[in-house]
Amino acid sequence: MSKQVLEGIRVVDFTWVFAGPSATLMLADMGAEVIKIESHRHIDQLRTVPVFAEGKPGVNRASGFNTLNRGKKSCTLNSTQPKAVEIVKKIVKISDVVIDNFPPRVMKGFGLDYSALREVKPDIIVVSLPGFGAAGPDKDYVSWAPIIEAVSGLTSTAGYPDGPPLGAGVYYVDPLAGLYAIIAVLSALFYRRETGKGQYIDISQQEAAITILPEAIMEYTMNGRIRPRMGNRDDIMAPCGCYQCKGDDKWVTIAVSNDQEWEAFCDAIGNPDWSKDERFSDQFSRWQNQDELDKLIGDWTRDRTHYEVMRTLQERGVAAGPSFNIEELINDPHIKERGVFVEVDHPEVGKRIVYNTPLKLSATPCQISGPAPLLGEHNEYVFKDLLGMSDREISDLVEEGVIY
Amino acid sequence: MGDKALSGLKIVEYGHLVSAPYCAKILADLGAEVIKVEEPGIGDEARRMEPFLDDVPHPERSGLFLYSNTNKLGITLNLRMATGKKIFKELIENADVFVENNSPQAVKELGIDYESLKEINPRLIMTSITAFGQTGPYRDYKSCELVSFHMSSFAYVNPCLAKDASQEPLKVGGRQAQFYAGLSGAVGTLAALLSRIATGLGQQVDLSELDCLIPILLSPVRYYTYGNQILCRTDAKEIAPFHVMPCKDGYVYVVCIDEPERAWQRFVKLMGNPSWAESDLFSERMSRAKCWDSLQPLILDWTMRYTKEEIYRKAQAAGISFGAVYTTNEVVHSEHLAARGFFVEIEHAQSGKLKYPGGPYKFSETPWQIRSPAPLLGQHNEEIYCQRLGYSKRYLVKLREAGVI
Repeated sequence: MSKQVLEGIRVVDFTWVFAGPSATLMLADMGAEVIKIESHRHIDQLRTVPVFAEGKPGVNRASGFNTLNRGKKSCTLNSTQPKAVEIVKKIVKISDVVIDNFPPRVMKGFGLDYSALREVKPDIIVVSLPGFGAAGPDKDYVSWAPIIEAVSGLTSTAGYPDGPPLGAGVYYVDPLAGLYAIIAVLSALFYRRETGKGQYIDISQQEAAITILPEAIMEYTMNGRIRPRMGNRDDIMAPCGCYQCKGDDKWVTIAVSNDQEWEAFCDAIGNPDWSKDERFSDQFSRWQNQDELDKLIGDWTRDRTHYEVMRTLQERGVAAGPSFNIEELINDPHIKERGVFVEVDHPEVGKRIVYNTPLKLSATPCQISGPAPLLGEHNEYVFKDLLGMSDREISDLVEEGVIY
Repeated sequence: MGDKALSGLKIVEYGHLVSAPYCAKILADLGAEVIKVEEPGIGDEARRMEPFLDDVPHPERSGLFLYSNTNKLGITLNLRMATGKKIFKELIENADVFVENNSPQAVKELGIDYESLKEINPRLIMTSITAFGQTGPYRDYKSCELVSFHMSSFAYVNPCLAKDASQEPLKVGGRQAQFYAGLSGAVGTLAALLSRIATGLGQQVDLSELDCLIPILLSPVRYYTYGNQILCRTDAKEIAPFHVMPCKDGYVYVVCIDEPERAWQRFVKLMGNPSWAESDLFSERMSRAKCWDSLQPLILDWTMRYTKEEIYRKAQAAGISFGAVYTTNEVVHSEHLAARGFFVEIEHAQSGKLKYPGGPYKFSETPWQIRSPAPLLGQHNEEIYCQRLGYSKRYLVKLREAGVI
């Protein structure tokens, strides 16, 4: 078995819900030992919202938690108790990274902010992912992914042309912040290797969301204009859109980026008379006459399956691909060959499909080390094996509600 | 060792548009040296894309290019010519990382594939970002943002609350597939660099835009694997409110979904405890979703009286997580972001002083920093070819005349 990227690295993980755990998921897949600090007092929302296995609620039966937290360990510590905070510090002393996604007052309230942790371990790397950053007038605001989407300007850029702004169907700003968190952790580990120094990195989820819309921001800062919502359309490519296919709610996307591709496209669809129309003769004219063009293309796609359209067009070097639903995606031959989805066996809910981390490193590949942890599953491992506590000490702490 | 997280790292980039350039920008902004290789005369295709400063479509005025290529040294080099390939290999000899987003076929034809380059430099990390990856039946397929986004199945569940299935699956604004792939590329590159400390060897990092979007799909995956349900953009919300709602001057995102019903109770109080809110139907988030058709107009009546800013501030002050649906101008003028210094002013030789989004992270020891703007096309030819590789200026003239640079 080849060596893993983060073998020997230990992460103390205070994150919950989506943004933070998506980061620690990748760290776990890279071989880090990720120890989640959980508590019965305040259970990760993803353990308590449906969908549950077989529809039966239970903190170890939740689809969200189990899918996102595979390969991590869980111990329960009630951080509102001073003794629990001392135990956390003992874990930090033998760890490399601490990560949380709370507003700054929470870790400070526990007595576990950066200055406290640095006293315990001077080269500790601490990464925080608050919604609005650790400083600034809005730093204590409450946020969910849709809120971040809204206040970053992303929601305003999404929607059908000539329609209102529409919320995204999935929480895409969360894994985005997670990616920046991993970049922060890995860069800080690299720097620590060279210098022996740790540091504190605070990542604003709002700012992370803004970094991926430079076209909109620059249009405004350069020209004082607000970019319109464009739906599936492009600034200049035409055709560029989503077309209905044979079957129930089946669609395909097609994009033609120059006149040579247009010729190939016309060839692929059998050079119908309408394709020779002057209105579609060059890229600019096609872009101007998109509405009519889309209707004509829709007439062609409507009689074909989305896979047929993709194959026919791709054979001639034209960009086309189905608008898959999740079932089609999981069963697609390319996705299968890439090994994107794999089954993991969980002690309580059995075998379930999860998605792999999308990094394919040729020499030190990522690996799924196991299922998601049961709540507190690794208490014995953490308190006894790692910290050397006796059985008596542990049972006392359980009684006191410290280990809880 | 310099004072930045990635000081001392040498990266060569041969990329275009977003994914590879943004991957390299992330590393450059954290202190790595990045030499960006562009084709002589035409350069990165992002130079030909709007928005352009003052609507002048000039290769040194593209907002997307200027943003995605900060902190880089820029050279021109024609990799199709034998001399170009020879010079490229000299650059690779001394590089830690090579980042690119060309098709696997093009890379092979140019002789800059990993198998060839690792012979020259066994410590090289090559990060290759493509739409479909280096393997698989679609490896040589053509793609673009729209196709990658839709094939990942993100579009099928987007937007939320589409009226009916006649509204097609929708991509979100911008080039998200490419940005996610670029970010994942930065993660993969850093991972490979850390591995190299232990092994002394490089490796290839293979990223597919399609693969990189999938971690976003936690909800569709889990509903399918645990509930056998295929989520769709036309699904009704199971809990409410969780909706974009019109208000006096635009829109707000109204969210009251936590248990116990703290947010909802605070919201009712904020609205002045209207009598309609006493109804049992509205006391719990799932039942509110079921009767959303009757609830929505009641909330709308309140939101339409106030601006998005008023609603956002009042709600957050009361501990309710609502969000103003800010338009771009409102984001740029945000007081909070100004206090954090998020937007940075960068001066560029051709485009002058402009405001750009900055980095979303604040490192306590090794701050994110802009050292230089995006390079002009071929701006650093002399610095790299003459000062580093030892060619004379006269030699450069000949290389230019022959179309090599």
